[in-house]
Amino acid sequence: MSDTAMELIDVKKVIGNKDIIKGLTFNIHKGEVFGFIGPNGAGKTTTIRMMVGLMGLSGGDVRILGNSIKSDFKDAIREVGAIVENPEMYPFMTGKQNLTHYARMMPKVTKERIQEVVKLVGLEKAINEKAGKYSLGMRQRLGIAQAILHQPSVLILDEPTNGLDPAGIREIRQYIRKLAEEENVAVIISSHLLSEIELMCDRIGLIKNGEMVAIQDVNAATEQTTVVEVQLEVTPIQEAVNILTEDFGIKASGRDTLLIQAERDRIPDIIETFVKQNIRIYQVTVTTSTLEDKFFDLIGENTIE
Amino acid sequence: MSNFFQLLMNEQFKLYIRKSTWIMYILMAVLIVGVAFLSNFGVENTPTYQAAHDDDWRQTLQDDNASMQKKMEQDEMMQGAYTGQIEKNNYYLDNDIQPAPYDTWQFVMENKFLLSLVSLLTIIVAAGIVANEFKWGTIKLLLIRPITRTKILASKYVSVLLFALFTLLFVLIFSWIIGAIFFGINGMDPHIVVNQSDGYAYVSVIGQIVQGYGLQLVTLVMMATFAFMISAIFRQSSLAIGIAIFLMLSGNAIVGFFSDYNWAKYILFANTNMNQYINGSPMFDGMSLGFSITVLAVYYVIFLTVSWVFFTKRDVAGH
Ligand SMILES: Nc1ncnc2c1ncn2[C@@H]1O[C@H](COP(=O)(O)OP(=O)(O)OP(=O)(O)O)[C@@H](O)[C@H]1O
Ligand SMILES: [Mg+2]
Repeated sequence: MSDTAMELIDVKKVIGNKDIIKGLTFNIHKGEVFGFIGPNGAGKTTTIRMMVGLMGLSGGDVRILGNSIKSDFKDAIREVGAIVENPEMYPFMTGKQNLTHYARMMPKVTKERIQEVVKLVGLEKAINEKAGKYSLGMRQRLGIAQAILHQPSVLILDEPTNGLDPAGIREIRQYIRKLAEEENVAVIISSHLLSEIELMCDRIGLIKNGEMVAIQDVNAATEQTTVVEVQLEVTPIQEAVNILTEDFGIKASGRDTLLIQAERDRIPDIIETFVKQNIRIYQVTVTTSTLEDKFFDLIGENTIE
Repeated sequence: MSNFFQLLMNEQFKLYIRKSTWIMYILMAVLIVGVAFLSNFGVENTPTYQAAHDDDWRQTLQDDNASMQKKMEQDEMMQGAYTGQIEKNNYYLDNDIQPAPYDTWQFVMENKFLLSLVSLLTIIVAAGIVANEFKWGTIKLLLIRPITRTKILASKYVSVLLFALFTLLFVLIFSWIIGAIFFGINGMDPHIVVNQSDGYAYVSVIGQIVQGYGLQLVTLVMMATFAFMISAIFRQSSLAIGIAIFLMLSGNAIVGFFSDYNWAKYILFANTNMNQYINGSPMFDGMSLGFSITVLAVYYVIFLTVSWVFFTKRDVAGH
């Protein structure tokens, strides 16, 4: 397929006699943001290390725009920008010197491009300071800058939200969406926090113990017929409960606020009926995402953070 | 090939932007000035100095010989200390050559002992150039570029050699300048009398400098390459520095310890000292210049091959 940016074909990793990765097969498309979710120790970083050739594969292959990372390393890696685990920089060099260092290792990265990237990640003020003095968030930004310098087709970010404040996460989220939508970059983001990356992903793959447990379209998860949990703050409460049971056949629980399970596309009808029956509505909240529920079921609640 | 130059620039940049590198250079500079200061002390009172500056230098040398002769007769112990100087003086007298005054060229020549310091610094650099990337974690960003690991390793190795070269040039040039300030310059090609395997000879000081420094480069390159290998294997610089320096200091003792066995001639350190061929006294039977060069070449190739295998074939995993 021509719109496949990266392909993993039965990727395996054995270290010692431990099966760390047990055969991963999936594709990432151009212009797609793929979330790579799993609890600590699931094998996200190990998979990413294999994607970028830092670790050899015990089996299978990784292809980037059709080029194998094993047999065509240079052609494959040319199209990849990445942060693997922490964004480590040369502490004794300034942000700018760090970027120039990596720019020298790749074809056609101009001074103007470095300038542009620095602006993009919002590091203009600190770029001439030593990277050793950077906060984790600033290093994360410098890491992203280094990964996108050469305008790669595939961007791989291992826990990029680690250490960022909420404003920083939102900025990164917007920037990543823009890269995917406008420049058709395939982005792979790993995280152990679904809530942090759910909003920026098109698809999410769930990995546990080195196996892909589920791959889910984020949009499909919020299909009209799926059941969601809704919190209602209404008065008078008793009347509302009656309407729900009689008109919709839904059982409500809770005393001050009502908690119900309902199909997504029935929510507007419920609200409409409430309004007609003069029930005052203060708040309607969908409390849990169905995606999270689904993943909790798959991996067991206690293991996800 | 063009990006190899870029890689070299990166490596040199990373080396020379660090304060620790500059501290090494400053220490060497201080040492050189210190040595010049000490040698300058009382140099005017030596007979050699006077002979070089006197019109009546023959008389000065003869007086010097006579006084040394006298001291030797009084004290058997001084025999060794003076015979060499007397023979040297006699060579000047017999060949009717006035001794050249001590100057910056001779100062540079005597400073060849500083090359062990250059070796030490090169070992430290060689031990860190791969290991530090692992320590800093930057290895992960370094190896995900469209450049083979072989080329990255080669750029690091060549960088070590460049560092050695620059440091050597620094010692030579800085010594020369300091020597010129303290002792002056006596022409561009002064000669002195030295003791060689075939007796005393009147030779160019510059030739002595090239030989004196050049011979030590063998040990420097071998030990730096060794440290480079250890750091590529263990990804840890202190271990590499420790082993390399320990071996460099104890090399002769190791050879001496095994000297009863004939295979001792295959030990690296039996072959690094090329002086044995200039003096015409090889350490073991069956050793020749060709033999030593072959042994050194074999070690060198092994060091580099092992470095290469470990650097290019092994996973870069978490700590
Ligand atoms: N070099 C190694 N040798 C042996 N086992 C390893 C090695 N590297 C990783 N592992 C094991 O592989 C498993 C996966 O580790 P990995 O770092 O890929 O997890 P992760 O999904 O990135 O976790 P986290 O969310 O904590 O970053 C872990 O159980 C770890 O112990
Ligand atoms: Mg990880």
